[in-house]
Amino acid sequence: MYLLPFFEWLASTRLSEAMSASVWAFAVVEMFHLLALTMLGGTVLILNLRLLGLRLQRRPVQEVARELSPYALASLAVLIFSGALLLIDGPLRYYSNAAFRIKMLLLALAVIFSLTLHRRAIRSERNARIAAVISLTLWLSVGLAGRAIGFI
Amino acid sequence: MTILQICQWLNDSPVGTSIRESDFSFDLIETAHVLGITLMAGTVAIFDLRLLGLALTRDEVSDVAGQVLPLTVAGFVLMVVSGTLLFWSEATKMYFNPAFRFKLVLMLAAGLNPLIFHRTVYRKVSIWELSQRTPAVAKTAAIVSLALWTSIIVSGRAIAYFH
Repeated sequence: MYLLPFFEWLASTRLSEAMSASVWAFAVVEMFHLLALTMLGGTVLILNLRLLGLRLQRRPVQEVARELSPYALASLAVLIFSGALLLIDGPLRYYSNAAFRIKMLLLALAVIFSLTLHRRAIRSERNARIAAVISLTLWLSVGLAGRAIGFI
Repeated sequence: MTILQICQWLNDSPVGTSIRESDFSFDLIETAHVLGITLMAGTVAIFDLRLLGLALTRDEVSDVAGQVLPLTVAGFVLMVVSGTLLFWSEATKMYFNPAFRFKLVLMLAAGLNPLIFHRTVYRKVSIWELSQRTPAVAKTAAIVSLALWTSIIVSGRAIAYFH
């Protein structure tokens, strides 16, 4: 497959060698990954429950989004950065992992959806419920696929 | 009966054994455990950020509490039920696991914090939330909560590294 050379190159980098040689690097980075995941999960849940009209109904959707988005985006940045480091620890281990592939696909979908249709639904308050359900489903699937990486 | 003997008894009980020996039970319960933690800590963090004046600042503290904390409780229940089942299946191993012991102490502290908070400073929330200024005691409780839940997630993950 055409991405294999890229993963092989990743595995040959100094960073990859340093990560896999270190006893604690993976564990420490994974902990940051989990903490950011918790924060992203909390903010995404509350925002979508607001879109569904189930929580914080007294506040406008846009205001809730404005208040929570910085935390969601910061968490996502930490997640992607720490996730990239975890990948670099053993690129070929993940290359052949089906759950990893599914997760990357779902992650791309979730990010694209959040930045486009979900954002538009927040601004216009049209299709709010369906956008909230899709967003929750996508992010939950990303999480489940991520957990499954370790089970395969 | 010593604690170790209780752990061994749980470990060898039919429930503990069946979870440990099943192909999927442990993984499924652990997934529920992670979801429970995310729900619990993710929502309590939002409430803590509100106390610190860092999120949802235009909502009254009591409103955020009423809207967000029931989700925290739901996450807590899921976390405790799934965590108990996980412990049940590996009780003897857990007894000797330093990360697990440390986590238990942290959980105790994390349980005491809201008990104290809701019985003291939060009782007068209707008075202080009008002034838009959260008392220092409440802000301290928020910082303690964030620090404890961060440590619990870290030590919970560390359990697997001590196997």
